[in-house]
Amino acid sequence: MHPLMTRTLTLFFAALLLTACGREEPDTEALGFYAFGTLVDLTLYPAGQYDIEAIEAAVQEELEVLHQSWHAWEPGSLGRTNELLALQGEFSAPPSVLPLIERGREMEALSDGLFNPALGKLIAAWGFHQDEPEGPPPDQETLDGLLDDPPSMKDIERNGVRLRGTHPDLQLDFGGLAKGLAVERVLELLEELGVEAAIFNAGGDLMTLGRPQGRPWRVGIRHPHGGTLGSIELEAGEALFTSGDYERGYEWEGERIHHVIDPRTGRPSQGIESATVLHHDPALADAAATTLMIAGPDAWLEYAQKMGIEHALVVLDDRIEATPGLAERVQPSRDHEPFVVRELP
Amino acid sequence: MKQGLLRWGDVLIGAAATTVVVAAFTLTYSPSGDARLLVISQAGAATQHEPLDRTRVLEIQGPAGITRVEIEPGRARCADSPGRQNICESSGWLQAHGDVAVSLPNRLTLQVLGAEPGFDSMHY
Repeated sequence: MHPLMTRTLTLFFAALLLTACGREEPDTEALGFYAFGTLVDLTLYPAGQYDIEAIEAAVQEELEVLHQSWHAWEPGSLGRTNELLALQGEFSAPPSVLPLIERGREMEALSDGLFNPALGKLIAAWGFHQDEPEGPPPDQETLDGLLDDPPSMKDIERNGVRLRGTHPDLQLDFGGLAKGLAVERVLELLEELGVEAAIFNAGGDLMTLGRPQGRPWRVGIRHPHGGTLGSIELEAGEALFTSGDYERGYEWEGERIHHVIDPRTGRPSQGIESATVLHHDPALADAAATTLMIAGPDAWLEYAQKMGIEHALVVLDDRIEATPGLAERVQPSRDHEPFVVRELP
Repeated sequence: MKQGLLRWGDVLIGAAATTVVVAAFTLTYSPSGDARLLVISQAGAATQHEPLDRTRVLEIQGPAGITRVEIEPGRARCADSPGRQNICESSGWLQAHGDVAVSLPNRLTLQVLGAEPGFDSMHY
């Protein structure tokens, strides 16, 4: 072979081989810890720029304070508020509880009462006030008693920071809203700490802060039956929340009892295995995911419309239904059927 | 073959080099959903990477006890983990890119990755 040709070919192949080694290094770094009663993952962009330990300590401390303040069934601000509401006298509310109450009222009104944080006694009757829920489920007589004139958020009178409960069965439990508000607070904290872009993921529910340069965030969505339902590219300031019957529950006499309780029947919701909502307001996304699950297969679109949700999907027994807005955004995985697209009313 | 341009040895070397380059590109860039790596993330511990290349069992100690992870070529599963709700075990075999299992009592996530670009986060 001609020496020039030999050298040229060698250089050509060597250059090609080098480009095959050119897989990009991750441009993010991640940390994980346990807080707010769940696993927390934080993905930070760009990699190598932050004091990871300082950020972890600050976020963990903030979440522990919120968890203690907002836990309905442990001593803390909300626990004390519940005790005082039951006495039906006027009292000064702890400041940390007021945003929960205000957003709770708003979500109850938006959902026409399907999302009702005042039904803590019903939640407790099913055993979901404990970290490890367990039976027995309540009997029909107990449910009838709890559903006869049930309390609502309207049974709290507010005058500035002064509150008064006006219903003897009022017991606040902000599961389905507190995580959304906590996510919002952590993103504010990350901004204060100088973080340019991040995904904060609390037990699978997440929100983005900013976005990496030159690309969107890539997020996988787990299917309730295992595997990946699909993936979505998120822009800055988008929250993705899911409520599912697989998240918390227990077996009782061969039946799976899950934690999303329908205030109309007093029983676990039926028909929808999980509901996922994408929105820029994490508290609304959190509450709406619960509401759509309760609404059921025939009414979830109607409630999405009522709550101003354009991006949602629900997993049913035999199919996945999605609004046009979310169907356009989610790339279904190869193992699953395409989504059934349903227009908002 | 024409004398003086390419000899049999040249052809052999050229073919071998081409094969190496093509194989390198295929392995690096071809899209594949098949799982190749198990990423074990536990709160407070360094992330652990386990290739899904051979059958073995891992026992991971957590605050609530031991999570037993079974690995086979191309897949992994949470075989046994503390907690009454069996959420970790019910995830079944993790074998497609992005599949994840979570053990809250042991503050642990298991995720398998393929050759596709990884997700920044997993929604579940």
